[in-house]
Amino acid sequence: MKTFGRIPLTASGFAALPLLIVAAVVAALFVFPWLVASPYLLHLMILLFLSVAMGESWNVIGGYCGQYSVGHAAYFGVGAYAALMLLQYKHIAPWWGVWVAIAAALIISLLIGTICFRLRGPYFVLASIAVAEIIRLVVLNWKQLTNGAEGILLVDIPPLMLGGRLVTDWLSKTPFYYLGLILALATLLVNYLVQHSKLGYYLQAIREDQDAAHSLGINLSFYKNVALAISALFTALSGVFYGLYIGFIDPASVLGVDLSVQMVLICIIGGIGTNFGPVVGALVLVPLSEALRANLLSKFLFSIGVVQETSRVGGFLKENLAHAHVLIYGILVVVVILFMPDGVLGFGKKLIARRARPLSATPTPLVGGLDGSA
Amino acid sequence: MALLEIRHLFKFFGGLAANSDIVCSVESGMIMGLIGPNGSGKTTLFNCITGYYPPTKGEIIFKGQRINGLKPDRVCKLGMARTWQKVRPLAKLSVLENVMVGALARTGSLKVARRAALHQLELMRMENRANSLAGSLSIGERKKLEVARVLATQPELLLLDEVMGGLNPVESEEIIQLILDIKKRGLTQVVIEHDMKAIMRISDRVMVLNSGEKLAEGTPQQVVSNPDVVTAYLGSAHVA
Repeated sequence: MKTFGRIPLTASGFAALPLLIVAAVVAALFVFPWLVASPYLLHLMILLFLSVAMGESWNVIGGYCGQYSVGHAAYFGVGAYAALMLLQYKHIAPWWGVWVAIAAALIISLLIGTICFRLRGPYFVLASIAVAEIIRLVVLNWKQLTNGAEGILLVDIPPLMLGGRLVTDWLSKTPFYYLGLILALATLLVNYLVQHSKLGYYLQAIREDQDAAHSLGINLSFYKNVALAISALFTALSGVFYGLYIGFIDPASVLGVDLSVQMVLICIIGGIGTNFGPVVGALVLVPLSEALRANLLSKFLFSIGVVQETSRVGGFLKENLAHAHVLIYGILVVVVILFMPDGVLGFGKKLIARRARPLSATPTPLVGGLDGSA
Repeated sequence: MALLEIRHLFKFFGGLAANSDIVCSVESGMIMGLIGPNGSGKTTLFNCITGYYPPTKGEIIFKGQRINGLKPDRVCKLGMARTWQKVRPLAKLSVLENVMVGALARTGSLKVARRAALHQLELMRMENRANSLAGSLSIGERKKLEVARVLATQPELLLLDEVMGGLNPVESEEIIQLILDIKKRGLTQVVIEHDMKAIMRISDRVMVLNSGEKLAEGTPQQVVSNPDVVTAYLGSAHVA
């Protein structure tokens, strides 16, 4: 029995430290807007929260359950469109519209799940892309309902009153900051709850081996659909949040394949199927894409003198590097997959583990029967 | 009443009859050995019984209930569990978590499942590997894990598909003892095995399949002395 000493130890002794760190970080995030006045920094943080929420949402179905949906823009876009159409055309406040958005996303997830979960592996991926594209095309062409390619420009959000008192008039970035923070924390909590429940065990069993899971009494389509529904719900919430914050949505920005891919990338780069992986992924990708957009990379190259700004190469970089978003994303993914198959988070953990206990840490006997267990 | 009854079971893949007119019944508490040359339809029969393939024709009766057409998870819940010829560990989960997934078929509580899983691993003398990743186990340990995991689903009938395949003599002996041990606990087992010596030792009855058809059934002694069985295994020249 002495080997079981390791289980309670990791559960109580070591778990307290990360918990304290998380609590400190959350507290710091809640006071952040009081300390930092810069709207740009707040904007960056909001984008970060949005990415965390999207990544964590996708992680439920893609990370734990292993069903790589590359069509999650469907739920994001449907959520955004439902809330913004109700607000703009029917003047229904978003805190009511959000329920419609959730309902719409859940119905669509059930439809997509019933169709696509008949397929496995790459065929599921293709089907998920196809369904999302169908939804994008419907929204693009159903002009009377959705305003087509012109999208929806939000005029204003009605002020939020609670018991006769004004909570917020949505004019600054601060309410969005807190909304985003709560959304990100909620998705993190959902991932934690999933991981520490029967559902989480079953999802991981499905990810590791569907046939084995099936033979162990796991109803595959039921659990896959539950995971997809949870994932779709929070993706839709992210979509509503995006629509309200940015104030403009069109089919390309909230229903495009690149959005779906981005959700997957956040998880793959951070660490798929882990609680904090998507957070790490967002921490890598959001600053990176901001740096690319602001052309910080070429500025950096000029400042350290690698390339002259006035030279032909310099001019080319200055012109094009900002548009090289996708290219650099692609290179990053290749690098991560090649050198960090468990994502940045897994890579970091491995580094720490290697430093903590050198070499003899994982004995793997070649033959079970000969090492004394027989 | 027999725990498992197979009535005139047929399974066709296109024109190929992988199982044809299989009739057999497994009494409660016994070990039924299932043997036959490669491709004789043993694993197909397992797949039909456990719900992976719908039988083309015929009936499967488990505990008095007709179960053809039921999905594998339903079959498992009814109390029938199977292992796989090619082991299927949930590689990125720990050994304990693998067994817990099995135990969760009978409980919603992780605590209860963890206790049940630890108990199973102790019976299997694998508790020292509880925290290892299943993917890091040796083949012998993987086979044992497979058995521990299905036992955790609390089956009445266990279908073991070549649990001794690829093991060394020491490990095989351990599995044989394990199977006899499981029998003592009152479970019924159907065992596919190529090792004839092992099958002769553990089986109460043996059924022989050849090209999808049932060739013989009886006690181990009756089966080895059956000339048809000898022909199927060794070729006709040996029948003298």
